[in-house]
Parts: sequence; structure tokens; C-alpha cells
Amino acid sequence: MAKLKLLGLSLRNFLKGPATVEYPRVPAPVEPDYRGRHYADLRKCTGCSVCAIECPANAIEMVEVPSGYEVPASNRRRVYPLIDYGKCVFCYRCVAVCPFSAYVVSNEYKLAGPEKPDSGPLSLDTLSRVGGG
Amino acid sequence: MGGRKIVEVPVTLEVPVGPQHPALHEPLLLRVYAEGEEIVRVEVNTGYNHRGIEKLCEKNSFHKNVFIIGRVCGICNTVHTDCYVRALEHLLGIEPCRRALFLRVLAMELERIHSHMLANAVLALNVGFENLFMNIMLDRERVMKAKEVLTGSRVMADYIIVGGVRRGLDDDKRDKIAGLLDALAPRLEYYKRVFEEDETVLKRTIDVGKASRLDAVRHSLLGPVARASGVAVDARASERYDAYGELDFNVVVKSEGDVWARAMVRWDEALEAVRIARQVLEKLPSDGNPVPDERKLPRKFPAGEAYTRVEAPRGELTYYVVSDGKGPNPYRVKIRTPSFNNIVNSPFMFVGYSVADLPAILASLDPCISCMERVTVIDVENGARRSMALRELAGGA
Repeated sequence: MAKLKLLGLSLRNFLKGPATVEYPRVPAPVEPDYRGRHYADLRKCTGCSVCAIECPANAIEMVEVPSGYEVPASNRRRVYPLIDYGKCVFCYRCVAVCPFSAYVVSNEYKLAGPEKPDSGPLSLDTLSRVGGG
Repeated sequence: MGGRKIVEVPVTLEVPVGPQHPALHEPLLLRVYAEGEEIVRVEVNTGYNHRGIEKLCEKNSFHKNVFIIGRVCGICNTVHTDCYVRALEHLLGIEPCRRALFLRVLAMELERIHSHMLANAVLALNVGFENLFMNIMLDRERVMKAKEVLTGSRVMADYIIVGGVRRGLDDDKRDKIAGLLDALAPRLEYYKRVFEEDETVLKRTIDVGKASRLDAVRHSLLGPVARASGVAVDARASERYDAYGELDFNVVVKSEGDVWARAMVRWDEALEAVRIARQVLEKLPSDGNPVPDERKLPRKFPAGEAYTRVEAPRGELTYYVVSDGKGPNPYRVKIRTPSFNNIVNSPFMFVGYSVADLPAILASLDPCISCMERVTVIDVENGARRSMALRELAGGA
């Protein structure tokens, strides 16, 4: 009797298909406030470097904004935080300590890829180019 | 010409178990001396995962360390953070609001559930029941999800901060966590029953790796390992830190002292943790904002020292933090983890059992290697590799 029951269970499990989520073919949804990819909105950033100082993983480096971008007057040194997502531990310390609340947060977690991921393009996209280019 | 050849056959064979994945995926070397199938002596060798975190803490500021401390151990990161943060709060003389304390307990109890589920899953894997491992891990996803809802990340919570927690809990999230716990509790009951009734598990765990009550006390074992040997040691009950003083829970104790008892203590504790988490969700007070502004936390720490302890999933974890009052960095952070204590004092448990029992016994101790790598040199007795006569071993072990 017990064996029949087991057989039934096995058959049912066999027909049900795998229990695991077949990521990445099937999306694995995360919470909207999951700590995912974040970057600085350079319209608000003043280049004060508090995030770079406070980063526990030393993942943030202050780099110069390339020429051709219009930087707000408050950012006199023309620097912005470049986050190396390979080093980042996603603790959001930078987001919490930013005095100007300049960080844009998202729940994006799919960061694996062939190229070295950093926040450069995302941050620079928040700025308008000089001459409307 | 025709010299006599002597082939020496050692009676006791040395079997190195590890350092690559001895029973779980962490580096630890067990130097096992076996006579046939029987283990006669075990030497524990650690130090393969030493990262110098205590030194790193001296080089970083008090607040940055909160996040570095969380990385001492992935599985029990909130208890580490809680212990360290409570030491900082003691130095500063800050008392967080009750709501924050309740939320901390919720995060730590969710962590205890998933840690115990992982430990028992690995035990199931090591006794050769891989299917059970898979199933437990599948259900563990529910508690990982609950932790994600609460803290914003599945594993690395980074939830506890000086003066409170880093995000609040609204009613939607509360219902979601309660729903996940409701779905999880019957599964925990089910797995507990599997461990009570399944022949495979029973045959491999009953009367294996026995530690008597006296052994547990003599070797100062901690956590579920001690509680499975009848020693009711639990920092939650004796210290009543955070909100544990206002919550009702039992200290689970078993008297058998074998691998099975340790697994059962973990299942019972996971169920007890579900009960505590439900109480937190029900009783959650609203006496203030639990989320302090991280920009306004005090930067200057007065000179002083603090010693705190918490009950981590693996036993009592203590932190000793010294501030010299001069700079933004701590003068010293000393971490004493339960795994370290349990593992280096464990060799007596293996003696007399077969080599095949070794993974089960090791898994039942729930070793967390990255937790325990605070020092680099450890040895059980006098350390050196030496050959021993069989007679000596029989008498000395």
C-alpha cells in the first residue's frame, strides 16, 4: 500500500515538471524596493565625495565629468561618483549618506555580463550635453 | 646484495578530509587518523579562509564597520551586525525605540530559520538523502523571500544600524511576511516529521557523534550542539537583549546528544523562531520612527569599551569593541564566534565512529568556516604530525 502511494507521488511529481524557477528563461521577480543597481543623478550631485568616503567596499571613485556635458554650478570640481558594480556590495550606504539625496535606486539585479559594469553611462545620461548634442 | 626489504604498513592511516569542501562548501581540514574504518583521532586545522576582518575594522570608521561586520558570515549577518551595533550603542549611550528593537528581532529570527534549514539540509545531503536537501532548500526560499521583503536583500541584510534599523515595515509588508510564515510553518513541521520517521535519516544519525552533557560543558560547546546535549544555554534567554525580554519563547533542549538530537533541536528552534516572528508581527509597537537618519548619526565616539553577546543560529556570539575616543575608527574589535568554539573543540566527537559518519557529525555541528577564521594557527593538542603506536592511541584517545 505504502509503495503504491509512493508510486503515485513519484508519478505526480514527474508530471508536474521541475520545481525550480528556470531563470533566466523565466523571470525571477524581486521586491520593488530590493537593493539593486543605483547611480548618482548628476543634476543633484555636487561632487562632495561623502559617498566615496563612506563606501565600505571602496567601490566608489570620484572621477571627472568628461567635457561636452553641462554640469550644475554647485559641482565646481566637475567630479562625479563612479560605482564599480563588481566591487559594490549593495549595502546602499552611499544612498543613505548622500546629503543631496542624489542617488537613483532601482531593483535591477541582472548585472552579470562580459564587460566591466560601472555606473558611468547611467550617471552621465542624467546630464544634458553642451550644445544640445 | 639481496638486502632485506622492509615494507612498513601503518596500522593507523591518516586520511585528510578537506580542506576542499570537507562536508560543506567551505575550507577546513580535518586530519583523520583511522584504523580500518574506525576513527581514532581527529585534528582540526583551520586558517584557510582568514581574511583579517578584525584588522580591517581598525582601519575603517565605526559606521563603515557595520557593513564590514555583516560580511564576517553570510548566513548569520544580522546577528553579527546586531551584536556590533549594540556595542556601539552602549558606547554612545543611545537606546533605539522599541519598534526598532522588535524589527531587529524579526530579522534575526528569520535568519535563524533559514540558517537552521540550511544546516539540516546539508545534514540530509551528507547522510545521502539528496532529495531531502533539495526539498528543504526549495522551502527555504520562502524565508529568504520574507527576509527580502523585510530588509531589501535575500541574504546580506545590512538592516541594523546604530539607533535603529534601515527600513520600516508597513502593513503590506507585514501581511506578506505573515503569509510567507504561514506557508512555511507546516513545511517545517513536515521536515521535522521526516527527520523523526525516515529510516535513512535515523540510521545515519541516531547514536552517532555523541556528546554527553559533561562533554558539552567540558569542551564549552555552544548553541544547538550544547542544547542537544542537555545544556540549556541560550543568550536570548539569559541576556534578554533587544526585544527578547518582551517575547515569549522556549529554550529547546534535548538530552540525547547525538547528530539526530542536534537536527531536532534545529527544527524545534526553527518552529520556535516562527512563533517569535509571529509574535513580533502581532505585537509590533508604534512608539517612534525606527529608521534613524544615517547622515545625522554621531561621528565621534567617546573613549570606552563594550562587550556584547547575542545568540547566533550557531550559538553564543560575542563582540568586544574598544574606542580610544581619539579618531573615527575603533581601537579594537574582537569577535568570538560560536562555530570556532564548536569546531576546534569537536575532535572528541568523531572518535570511535566510522569514517563514513564523519560528514554527518561535521554537518551536525553546523560549521561556518568564514565565521571562525579569526586566528590562523589552531591545533588540538600539541599540533605536530606524529605517528603513534596503536596502544598509545587506544589508551590516549
